[in-house]
Amino acid sequence: MSPVSSTPHLDVATPERVALTLPVAGIGYRCLAWLVDATLIFFFWVVAYFVFTLLVSDVLGVFQGLSTVGRTLLVVGVFATQWLYWTVGEVFFHGQTPGKRALRIRVVRMDGSPVGLLESAVRNLCRAVDFLPVGYAAGCLTMLLTARHRRLGDLLAGTLLVRDERIDLDKYTAPVDASGTGAPSSARELTSEEVELVLAFLSRASGLEPQVRQRLGARLVERVGGLDDAQREAVLASADATEAFLRRRARAEV
Amino acid sequence: MAAPLPTFVARRRADWDALDALLTRQRAGALTLDELRRLDALYRRAASDLAHAQTFYPDTDAHRFLNQLCGRAYAAIYQPPRERWPAVRAFFQREFPRVLRRELRFVGASGALLCLGILLGALVVLWEPRGAELLVPGPVRQYVAQGRMWTDDILSVAPPNSVSSDIATNNLTVTILTFATGMLFGLGTLFILVNNGVHIGAIGALCLREGMGGGFLDFIAAHGPVELSIIVIAGGAGLMVGQALIDPGELPRGQALALRGREAVKLVLGCAPFLAFIGAVEGYVSPGDLFPTWAKAGLGLSLGGVFWAYLLRAGRTDAEATEVPAASAS
Repeated sequence: MSPVSSTPHLDVATPERVALTLPVAGIGYRCLAWLVDATLIFFFWVVAYFVFTLLVSDVLGVFQGLSTVGRTLLVVGVFATQWLYWTVGEVFFHGQTPGKRALRIRVVRMDGSPVGLLESAVRNLCRAVDFLPVGYAAGCLTMLLTARHRRLGDLLAGTLLVRDERIDLDKYTAPVDASGTGAPSSARELTSEEVELVLAFLSRASGLEPQVRQRLGARLVERVGGLDDAQREAVLASADATEAFLRRRARAEV
Repeated sequence: MAAPLPTFVARRRADWDALDALLTRQRAGALTLDELRRLDALYRRAASDLAHAQTFYPDTDAHRFLNQLCGRAYAAIYQPPRERWPAVRAFFQREFPRVLRRELRFVGASGALLCLGILLGALVVLWEPRGAELLVPGPVRQYVAQGRMWTDDILSVAPPNSVSSDIATNNLTVTILTFATGMLFGLGTLFILVNNGVHIGAIGALCLREGMGGGFLDFIAAHGPVELSIIVIAGGAGLMVGQALIDPGELPRGQALALRGREAVKLVLGCAPFLAFIGAVEGYVSPGDLFPTWAKAGLGLSLGGVFWAYLLRAGRTDAEATEVPAASAS
């Protein structure tokens, strides 16, 4: 729930004269996405190794003299996993390799437009340098030092990774049950911040400990309230009543 | 006065969901013309909703949602032109040779560094034979000591763990590293070029001393010219990147880097098919006695000649010759 403006972000001025603010993916997201991709590549190599062993051990004696083919395959395989995998993913699947897709992050240019072949080629060729001296140390270091968590390849290509958040709008439109006391007429209008706060509490309330749920509910009632003592008594009688009141209060103006 | 947040969301949500669905379908495949028009209209409305949310509901989830929705739509609408086959053909017919000619200074410097390395390596070994112990890898020295070419065994059937992947992928790795280490202020490129030069020079000189000069020549003749050219070109690209880092000119360093990176990578990508081709030559033609040395040398020289003729002549027009006189100098 951190505000958009305090985390690293990318500002994009669209031709429609609206400023987009895209959240930047940090080092954690990127490492996890890389782990997913690396695992996929690892399994590719495991399978390739067994196939290759089968070919060369040559149980049937058919593949005698095929070792040059094997060598070619090896080069193709290394090429595919070192570079092709990443670039094909980023160019053809909207800036996402399977790992990035799983973590919901995406490569974009510095102006927010989708990444092209040249940029993707640069940033993935630079993996060789970002990997130096071992385990992406150089890349991680630059990610920590740059404002938008970019590694060397990103700097050279002019790209960065942004996050696709999964945001649920249902909480705004959840149905209100009609029972219980209505909002007092003296109540002031809530600010959007307070609405947000109340809705965030409501969407999480069912997962909270009973005491915590009660306490937080009571504090929110205090904050948004405008109730006299008798009404407050009634509202705080049970968690359900509290939350019903809060839900009505958040959407009182509908 | 703005409507309360839930009211706003409830009123506009249908449009957002429709846009969301259209974007999902757009990813999966083609939309009809009508749907594209609708996408455009919905995007504009969502953008105005975003502006509204920025003003009245900053830092709420609705704001974040709209940000993201508009970001996706923006990416879908303002896509870069797709690189299709005609673009690929145009790249190899004109753009790649042109970029190379424009950046010939860097490629020349890179070639000079490699030659310097070769010269150094050869001189050291010719002058002081024990220098070979330092400069030539152990396994290669063993082969040479036995009077055999180390390359002869690449062809023989071997279990996978002895098919050394660093031989098989050497060209690829060297090319990528030569370019990419340009990010280290060009020092990485410099080191790799000189280092590889020294290795080649040292091994060549060692073979010469041991009376195997013919064998060495026999092995490298067919693929050497083109392969070394490719590494030199990749080195040129690496030096371009290094230069952008050290002397970005009037641009901020980040922008200069991104700009030069885009140009430099064209050199590397342009080399890729030739690298694959020459890899095949190295794998099938160079080792063994299938072809006589003169045939290999002839092949190597003509391949090198064709390669450079292509690089220096393809896509040249009168306009370019007058526009960039430096490129036609050499």
